[in-house]
Amino acid sequence: MTAKWWLWAAYAVALISLLVFPHVTGVMMRELIGRIFILAVFGMSYDILRGYTGIINLGHAAFFGGGTYIAGIVFTRLGTSAAALLLAVALAWAFAALLALIMGQFAFRNTGAGGVLACAMITLAFGEMVRHTAETLREFTQGADGLTFVVPVIFRDRIGMYYYALLFLVVMTVLLRQFINSPTGRVLQAIRDNEQRARFLGYDVRKYKLLALVTAALAASSSGFMFALLTRFANTDLLSVQNTLNALLFTIVGGTGTLYGAIVGTAFVQLVQSYLLELRGIHEIFARWQIFFGAIYVLVVLYMPLGMVGAFLRIKGSLARWRTAGSNHTEAGE
Amino acid sequence: MHIFVMLLVNGLAEGALIFLMAAGLSIILGLVGVVNFAHGTLFIWGGYMSIWVFRLTASFPLALLAALATGVIMGIVFERLFVKPVYGKVTSQILITLGLMIIFTDMVRLLWGPNPIPMVRPPWLDGTWVFGQVIIARYRVFLIAVGLFVAVGINYLINKTRIGMVMRAGIQSPEMVQALGINIKLYFAAVFAGGAGLAALGGALYAPLVGSVWSGMGIDNQILAFIVVILGGMGSFYGSAVGSILIGLTSAFTAWFFPPLTAYSTLLIMVVILSLKPEGLFGLAVRK
Amino acid sequence: MKPLLKVEDISSFIGPFHILQGVSLEVYPGEVVVILGRNGAGKTTTLRSIIGQVPPARGQITLDGVSLLNMPTHMAVRAGIGYVPEDYGVFDLLTVEENLKLAMRQSDKATLTRRDEVLDIFPDLGIAYKRLAMTLSGGQRQMLSISRALVNDNKIILIDEPSKGLAPIIVERIQNVLMTLKKKTTIVLVEQNFALACAVGDRYYIINEGRTVLSGTVDDLIDDTALQQTHLGLVLT
Repeated sequence: MTAKWWLWAAYAVALISLLVFPHVTGVMMRELIGRIFILAVFGMSYDILRGYTGIINLGHAAFFGGGTYIAGIVFTRLGTSAAALLLAVALAWAFAALLALIMGQFAFRNTGAGGVLACAMITLAFGEMVRHTAETLREFTQGADGLTFVVPVIFRDRIGMYYYALLFLVVMTVLLRQFINSPTGRVLQAIRDNEQRARFLGYDVRKYKLLALVTAALAASSSGFMFALLTRFANTDLLSVQNTLNALLFTIVGGTGTLYGAIVGTAFVQLVQSYLLELRGIHEIFARWQIFFGAIYVLVVLYMPLGMVGAFLRIKGSLARWRTAGSNHTEAGE
Repeated sequence: MHIFVMLLVNGLAEGALIFLMAAGLSIILGLVGVVNFAHGTLFIWGGYMSIWVFRLTASFPLALLAALATGVIMGIVFERLFVKPVYGKVTSQILITLGLMIIFTDMVRLLWGPNPIPMVRPPWLDGTWVFGQVIIARYRVFLIAVGLFVAVGINYLINKTRIGMVMRAGIQSPEMVQALGINIKLYFAAVFAGGAGLAALGGALYAPLVGSVWSGMGIDNQILAFIVVILGGMGSFYGSAVGSILIGLTSAFTAWFFPPLTAYSTLLIMVVILSLKPEGLFGLAVRK
Repeated sequence: MKPLLKVEDISSFIGPFHILQGVSLEVYPGEVVVILGRNGAGKTTTLRSIIGQVPPARGQITLDGVSLLNMPTHMAVRAGIGYVPEDYGVFDLLTVEENLKLAMRQSDKATLTRRDEVLDIFPDLGIAYKRLAMTLSGGQRQMLSISRALVNDNKIILIDEPSKGLAPIIVERIQNVLMTLKKKTTIVLVEQNFALACAVGDRYYIINEGRTVLSGTVDDLIDDTALQQTHLGLVLT
């Protein structure tokens, strides 16, 4: 009971400070935190795949970047009316769902360890094709220069956008939480833990994987769409493997298979990145974010496979066990 | 007809280049059960190192040798430090090698700058042969020759040498190979390093073909090699050879007849083949 | 006399499963020791623990006074062990010749002589010498697997269920071969075929639920039908 009480208090304090935050801090920090809210959803969408279904999708950036580009292209071509906004959202979701279905059709053919590898290789190929397409369709995407666009009026207020991003994060967290706790989500976790067993139990593993991919694609695409509203800019980096690895890093730093870990991970990685970039004045090596990114990434995979939230949960678990063991001991003593 | 011959040569030359990457990938996959997602990075390093040495010594053979050595050394370092700790853990292998890809690709930008660096063909490989209407670039013929040489060499290695016996046995059961008193981990490292060397050699041979090196060339070629590995049958050396030729010819012919489709044709071929034969042409299910 | 192979109270895990919970055995030079027990008792795991494929968490294993503990499999085997696994472990993509070649730890004259002797024992293998092992029958695979253990100057040979899945007539041949081998080398034999085990074995150990529960001479075991029933589930016919 008491534990519940302080947990709710902590949530309330956190929420209030996040609500007050944009009014007491600088523009840079506000932008950064807003970005973290949106990218955290991208991270969570990856956790649905890697953490809850056991899939490595190396073309995941195609969904995120697809959402950003579709928003940008619709706003530049058709204006920023409410109708255009709705059309853009519909197109972004349709694109994500369709691409996920096609990708999954070929990526989930094999099973076992070879299946994981084949899936990673095939999704990488699909993802790169999407990036390539964006680079070639200059007329729409401005190619390597990147696409700058205006967004609907309601999203133009910077502080307002911060709150939209926060709302987006809260809504998506609740939705994804619901998804992984649903019967479907349970089946996905069964597939992750033992694919063969899930198959013997009669589940159509491929269909469930497709479902997970489509869900993750929709979440990633929504995140990319929000990113468009926040940054008002799209370039092909958003579609690159590097961006997929961003999402991967968010989840593994935070802890795979924990959902909230992705939020913690995104915040951590983004804060470290902005801090390192500030050090750029001291030495030019700090401008090479990618080298640090890769190094953090390799170290986390090798030495911190549980991630932050994962490690926290484990410590909490052993602490609880230790406590019960301790109390049992005293009972026995009495 | 002359177009057909020229496209054939172009396609085979491209296939030979892809083969250098795909053969290593597939053999490593078959024996060790690992896919090196930093394979394209070795390709880039091979390209840059060859140019560096070529400018110092003006010798193309030396440049190729330097690329090969760079690949082998990087392969040994990758394998010992990063892949060995995660043998048997497929997901970690993918993640680790992707991290290496990021680090070492950016290191190229740090060392040689972000802009493409031009590379010329050595004089003795430059120019063309003209047979009537057919014009054939010497360098492409050279690439085909190198590809053939490597293919025959690997074929000999697999079928006639002790390391080949270990490779064929190891595909089935590395554990049993070890139970015969053979330190299979050593062979894993050797094969990994060999594959890495071939990828770097591929990069060195690619630079004069397209006239420059840049840090993005790794991922493009890596994806072609992945497509070859998948459509050829994961872990099959012969699959990688046939697949490379198929992909090389496909790109050459689509580049001529339907240029906008060039980048997609290879993916399309893979999709078609996987639909017909889910385990690939020479389907060798990966057992590890 | 000192035991050639000594396994002392080993404890082994496969993943989270505690498979061996105290297996001990002693094998003296020149004898054939059979390991008996029901399916899943830990017989195969015992052999795999000896060669380090399933490294024991506790206990001690010595071969001729040398500790095999913490040795990687290839080193443990080189100490003088021939291993013939349950499913033959023959390499399909290698020819018979290559299978033997891969097994040979040296290529000196003695090894080549041993190989020729092996081919005399198993003429089938000589006939199929250049063929891929995937073309061999089950019995031929078993012979090839045993041959691989014989081409080296091994101190001891571990054989896991050589009769499994083979036709009676082939089992008979295998039994004859084992009788011949018996005169030359020391053998640890895991066997479910009670008749074969009794015919070849000198002493026995019974493993139950990961522990050695009984040992004695095979002659005594043959007479003790009650023991056969309780520990091996054998019903006399």
